[in-house]
Amino acid sequence: MGYLDGFKVTLRKWAGVNTDTGRRVTTEYPEEVRPKPARFHGRHVLNRYEDGMEKCIGCELCAGVCPADCIYVRGSDNDPENPTSPGERFGFTYEINYLRCIHCDLCVEACPTQAITESKLFEFAFTNRSDAIYTKAELLVGDDGRPRQMPWENWDGGFDPAQDTSGWMRATSSGGFAEFEGLVAWAGELGYGVRAPEGGQTSEQAGAEAAAADAAEDEHGGH
Amino acid sequence: MRDIEITEPVEITLNGELVTAQNGELLIDACERNGSYIPRFCYHSRLTPVGMCRMCLVEVDTGRGPALQPSCMIPVSDGMGVDTESDGVAKAQDGVLEFLLANHPLDCPVCDKGGECPLQDQAYAYGPGESRFVEEKRHNEKPIPISELVLLDRERCILCDRCTRFADEVAGDPLIHFIHRGSHTEVNTFPGEPFASYFSGNTVQICPVGALTASPYRFKARPWDLEETESTCTRCSVGCRVVVESSRNKVLRLQGVDSDPVNWSWLCDKGRFGFQAGNSGNRLSRPLQRCESGELSEVGWNTALDSAASVISAAIAGRGPQSVAVLGGARLTNESAYSWAKLAKDVIGTDNVDCQLGDGLPAELVLGLPGASIDEVCEPGATVLYLGPDAKEELPILYLRLRHAADFDGVKIVEVGPTLTGLSPYAAESVTAVPGETPSVLAALLDGTSEHVEASALLRNASDLKVVIGRANLAEDEAITVQTADLIRESVPGATFLPALRRANVRGALEAGLAPGFLPGGATLAGTLPTGWQSMPAERGGGAAEILEDAANGRVDVLILLGSDPLRDFPDRSLARRALAGAKTVISIDPFVNASAEQADLVLAASMFSESAGTTTSLEGRVTALNQLVTPPGTARDDWMIAVDLADRLGADLGVETSADDLAEEMAGFSDAHVVLGDGAPVGDGVMLDISGRDLLTSAEVEVPPANAYSLRLVLNRTMYDKGTLLEESESSAGLAGESVVKLSAADAAPLGVDGSTQVKVTSEHGSVTVAATIDSRVPKGVAVMHHALGDVDAGTLLVHGDPVCDVRVEVS
Repeated sequence: MGYLDGFKVTLRKWAGVNTDTGRRVTTEYPEEVRPKPARFHGRHVLNRYEDGMEKCIGCELCAGVCPADCIYVRGSDNDPENPTSPGERFGFTYEINYLRCIHCDLCVEACPTQAITESKLFEFAFTNRSDAIYTKAELLVGDDGRPRQMPWENWDGGFDPAQDTSGWMRATSSGGFAEFEGLVAWAGELGYGVRAPEGGQTSEQAGAEAAAADAAEDEHGGH
Repeated sequence: MRDIEITEPVEITLNGELVTAQNGELLIDACERNGSYIPRFCYHSRLTPVGMCRMCLVEVDTGRGPALQPSCMIPVSDGMGVDTESDGVAKAQDGVLEFLLANHPLDCPVCDKGGECPLQDQAYAYGPGESRFVEEKRHNEKPIPISELVLLDRERCILCDRCTRFADEVAGDPLIHFIHRGSHTEVNTFPGEPFASYFSGNTVQICPVGALTASPYRFKARPWDLEETESTCTRCSVGCRVVVESSRNKVLRLQGVDSDPVNWSWLCDKGRFGFQAGNSGNRLSRPLQRCESGELSEVGWNTALDSAASVISAAIAGRGPQSVAVLGGARLTNESAYSWAKLAKDVIGTDNVDCQLGDGLPAELVLGLPGASIDEVCEPGATVLYLGPDAKEELPILYLRLRHAADFDGVKIVEVGPTLTGLSPYAAESVTAVPGETPSVLAALLDGTSEHVEASALLRNASDLKVVIGRANLAEDEAITVQTADLIRESVPGATFLPALRRANVRGALEAGLAPGFLPGGATLAGTLPTGWQSMPAERGGGAAEILEDAANGRVDVLILLGSDPLRDFPDRSLARRALAGAKTVISIDPFVNASAEQADLVLAASMFSESAGTTTSLEGRVTALNQLVTPPGTARDDWMIAVDLADRLGADLGVETSADDLAEEMAGFSDAHVVLGDGAPVGDGVMLDISGRDLLTSAEVEVPPANAYSLRLVLNRTMYDKGTLLEESESSAGLAGESVVKLSAADAAPLGVDGSTQVKVTSEHGSVTVAATIDSRVPKGVAVMHHALGDVDAGTLLVHGDPVCDVRVEVS
């Protein structure tokens, strides 16, 4: 009867007894939704400045860094009279293929203007391949600064468009150093203004951790 | 850095190791050759060193202790000690980069150069990493167009002097220069004078930052998007080596490659930006057939080829093979040209084949004259007799080479032609000869009776005369050129010739046998049957003019236009018009529906530059590779595939097993007019044909009517930008063609009352046109110059093919 032994684990977990933490971890998704981590990587949004101009300048650094090769960008000349973005160049074509995207967020790191960030939305499923390729019009935030909802996206599961975009960007400083905690180094966003830094680690904490890590490394003979 | 042969070796100590260098060469080159790359911005091996940027500072010790010296200004000497990696050098590089970046905007994400930028790369490799400057950077309006094709961003400029040196030294168009002083120094054009140089694109290529960008490539892609392949430019017959770069199956950019025997990394703007024609929305993607309503409509290849084969078979069965004529083929690769020569001459059996359109040199001259290469013509100390068309307009890179040879290498150029040209300022002497009188003027120069004493002495004393021969005037009969060549060979037996051909692969097409009376490899119909051939034409056919004459008189059943557009290109315009109307069936094989194809019954969609692989032969007989990078639009296909399919339908096999290489091998198997470059072999500088033992030359005597006092002799020549299909279809060059004008000398203009933009009526025996007249100091008295295929005015209606010269009257209308 050895094959029934495996069910003991299931039953124990279901009943919530004798587990490692002593509590049941299974939730009734989708009826019941867990809050997502602050730096969750979901589908992208293309942000705009507070004055409505697009942040994307079509530099293709996101496409260049993308390990899944899922981003296609082409730049074009801004009309000097009616520019789409500040400067000479704007993102004329911007497409992300979500059949390929692995949500690694390297595009967000590469972006020199914080134009692309990832929201916490992950509940979207397509019935054909062309839907999976988000175009610029679909990725760009609307005039209210909120992402646009596609018919195949489920926003019911606790996705808050007012809060759940560009979280990752707000968590770190441009240099990636925790010492810059609390120093705002990013541009304002349409509809939100300059977002507050995400709370969390402090520089003292980070400094102590870094020192501990260094010490551990020295113990192992350094490099 | 160029590869050189070390003739005077000296030993220097480079970073502690003894290495060998050429005495007197620049230290920067010697170090690079010996594996120590010195960063640089202003130094370019094809330009005079100036030591502007100070990036190449190294510690040089010539016995007095190490000192920082710019290695691009220091010639190597024996026993020199060099340290390129010392702390002092690193600190100097750090400092130089910090200064260069003090005002650099760092807008790399939007800059076209970002990703392939020497400043970016070297800032990463040698720079300090952080700047100490907190001050506001310099601001300028960005970008400002300095010509139709080039944009200038002065904020990014690091004042390296490369573009300005190029414009002055290489192109001879010193239209950009430093202006202002001190920290306000900037590169700019003179007020109101754009950088209207035929070579402006080169400044974009050599700019070490993104200060100069080309409008056709602006924001089209980033460097990491690009796929590239080496190839050969096909916009004229010089055969410049290029790198073709594409992204997403679209060619986006051409860059010149430093090929020592050919283009020295330079390209003309027509070649550099002409690839845009391939991306034109008007490209033909499927065959077109004229349907019953009279419109050209798309059909499948089977239908199109079946119908082409059936009209050809019907013509052969009817009036015989000679009722089929093939016109054109200079656009093709060598392989395609050979396949068409074999199709026409072997399978169909017609000799009415000509790859030139009455505007080139006779095949006998191109194939039979003892050849000189571009390098031989530009050899230091050589004497060159220039009899070709205006090289600056038609063969721009040959012009750059000749210009350099005259300016730097002591080459003496004697120019004899109907007008002064772009080359005249660099010629030792320019002798103008009224159309028709070139042979007599030249005879006088060669026997010493001419009043042009200097030119005469130069030509008579030249031990090894090099002659550039071409058609400077399309309104002059080609027999006069034959007569001229004949005269030179008689008077100067050792003279060698460089044919100044216009179209890309005329030489290759002629070598492949696309000329009346010729078989591949310069063999004549009297020769033996080439290997792999079943038959050859029984009798000699006619050239372009005879073919068109026959067509006009209803004697041509099938006229095949192989990438040619006689309505635009054949000098005698009315003959071309009558011929297209008179031919029973016209089949055009072309990437575009050009003016002639609009009148065709069947248009087969052909591939273009960078869409098909093969080889091409330049005017000097250099076989270089053409590589494929993108796919042709729709179902358009290579010309050789069309030939093979047609042959198949006519019941013959052209012997292609797998690819066009089979054709190349077959041709190379029996003739010295082709070489197989080998699969995957590096493109390199190509291979010069080694041709010997041809006896093809003929002589001609032309009776030129004496000039009369009431008329002017017409010179019909070409400009770089005209209304040709490929230029019109190139987005950036479409607007660059000038207006049609007639150019007169001041002496002829004065009595007519012409003062700059007067409308005049130009009348010849055969027609008349109304056109604006301008005064041009390069036009001698007694001559009127008009340009071919320019604007709406059709200068071609003034002349009739076969007339030795064309006399016109100019009256104010």
